[in-house]
Amino acid sequence: MPRRRVFNPLTELLAAALLVVLVLVVNTWQFSLAVLVVAVLPGVLLSGKPRQITLAIAVTAGPLLISSFFLHGLFFPEGTTVLAEWGPARVTAEGLQFAALTGLRLAVFTGVLLTAALTVSIPELVSTLTHRRWNRRLVFVLGSAVGLLPHVAERARQITRAQQARGLVVGGSISARVRGLLMVSVPLVTGLLIDAAERTQLLEARGFSSPGPRTNYLPDTDTAGQRTARWLMAAGVLAFGCAWYAVGAGR
Amino acid sequence: MSSPLTLPATTAARPRSALVAAGAALIAATYLYLVLVQPAEIAEGIGGTSSLITLLGFLGGGALLVAGILPSLSTSSLVLMPLGIALNIAIGQTAGSLGLQIYLDAIGTVLVAVLAGPAAGAATGALSNAIWGLFNPLALPFAAGAALIGLLAGTAARYGMFRRVYLAPVAGLVVGAVGGLVAAPVAAFMFGAAGTVGTNALVAAFRAVGDSLLVAATKQGLTSDTLDKLVVFTLVALLAYALPRRSRAQFPFLRRYGVLAGRTGSATGR
Repeated sequence: MPRRRVFNPLTELLAAALLVVLVLVVNTWQFSLAVLVVAVLPGVLLSGKPRQITLAIAVTAGPLLISSFFLHGLFFPEGTTVLAEWGPARVTAEGLQFAALTGLRLAVFTGVLLTAALTVSIPELVSTLTHRRWNRRLVFVLGSAVGLLPHVAERARQITRAQQARGLVVGGSISARVRGLLMVSVPLVTGLLIDAAERTQLLEARGFSSPGPRTNYLPDTDTAGQRTARWLMAAGVLAFGCAWYAVGAGR
Repeated sequence: MSSPLTLPATTAARPRSALVAAGAALIAATYLYLVLVQPAEIAEGIGGTSSLITLLGFLGGGALLVAGILPSLSTSSLVLMPLGIALNIAIGQTAGSLGLQIYLDAIGTVLVAVLAGPAAGAATGALSNAIWGLFNPLALPFAAGAALIGLLAGTAARYGMFRRVYLAPVAGLVVGAVGGLVAAPVAAFMFGAAGTVGTNALVAAFRAVGDSLLVAATKQGLTSDTLDKLVVFTLVALLAYALPRRSRAQFPFLRRYGVLAGRTGSATGR
């Protein structure tokens, strides 16, 4: 069941971005862990699709965490406290500590941003950006790219099947692979380009490049309160960051 | 003659060079700062400060670049950009999940750069990583590097590196080397140089020899990125020559600079 949206997408994305900045400013494992437990975990659980988001975070950050652990755990030439040694690989306390700190920060970075991004409704975000009078071209590229993604994947699948029906064999020697790749990508890109040419004419015919106000068919879900809150949040994080560094420099 | 019912005709505005210059300067300053000042700090663990500077400097620079470039693009370039972005993300996601040593996440950027020019390429690269960040936040900090790839690919195309298919890999090699140099501090300071299984094996090998993290990440970047861009540029050249004339005809950049040799008749066309 999708959760009832409380805040505007812009507010949620900004909050997530500012949280990442805070984690980088404070840069202690305690704070990173606290954010993970206090912000990311409830966010995922209340998102309405906890399984999907957990899976996305695991797939994105998991391999990176594991490889970071092996990389720094085994190969950390700066480390002095050697715990174990096999040939060129040395397990050092400093390396493990480094892996834990980087890994935790990475987990927060991925967790916070993915939770925010995967719960955001892109149409609502695009509509908000239009209402806030962001650059129309930017809004077009954002909305259009996100809309094209599933289309591109589906089309690639269809072309692959069609070429396989004509006798394309996936795999084999390198030259066969390259030929296979071209047999799929040439029709894919050509088809997409022809679509794009048609879209250009349609957009031009409807005055896409002309200046002037646009009518938006979706209601504005943004409120004056949230707009103020966004400015306050950004100012707050900026002030906190400055204060943190000032205190840190004074120490 | 203009009717009161239609909007006045407009021409594409000039790029806002001040914004573009500011963006490029911010990216260059961030890179120089990271390379010159930070390596001393890395021994006692990466500070959050350098991560923060990496993130804000490269993302802010990318945003300024996009803001400067977007108003100047024609509608046909603009419509091409989402296509390039979708190709980047679709192919890059696949390559990443296969654990390859190369990323293949710039095919769309290079394609747009070749068809529509360096400015469109740079904007595609930056926006591509920004939008990819909605599904995979790890791509986000590499936005500035992607913009540079698009810019350089477009410049290479402008000066005829795609007129012969065998020249494209050479251009890819050079662009890849530059791209690898720029991406290395991001990988080192944001993610501790951790990447896919494939790239990690390379970093681990360099670390085992005793390199510092930034040096290992730079060497890995130089290895992976040159190989990656070599493959990508070759693929894009093959793709561009395989496109039907009708698709190629819609891009003035191809005609004006005779980007592709021969069959468009462009180089001698005017």
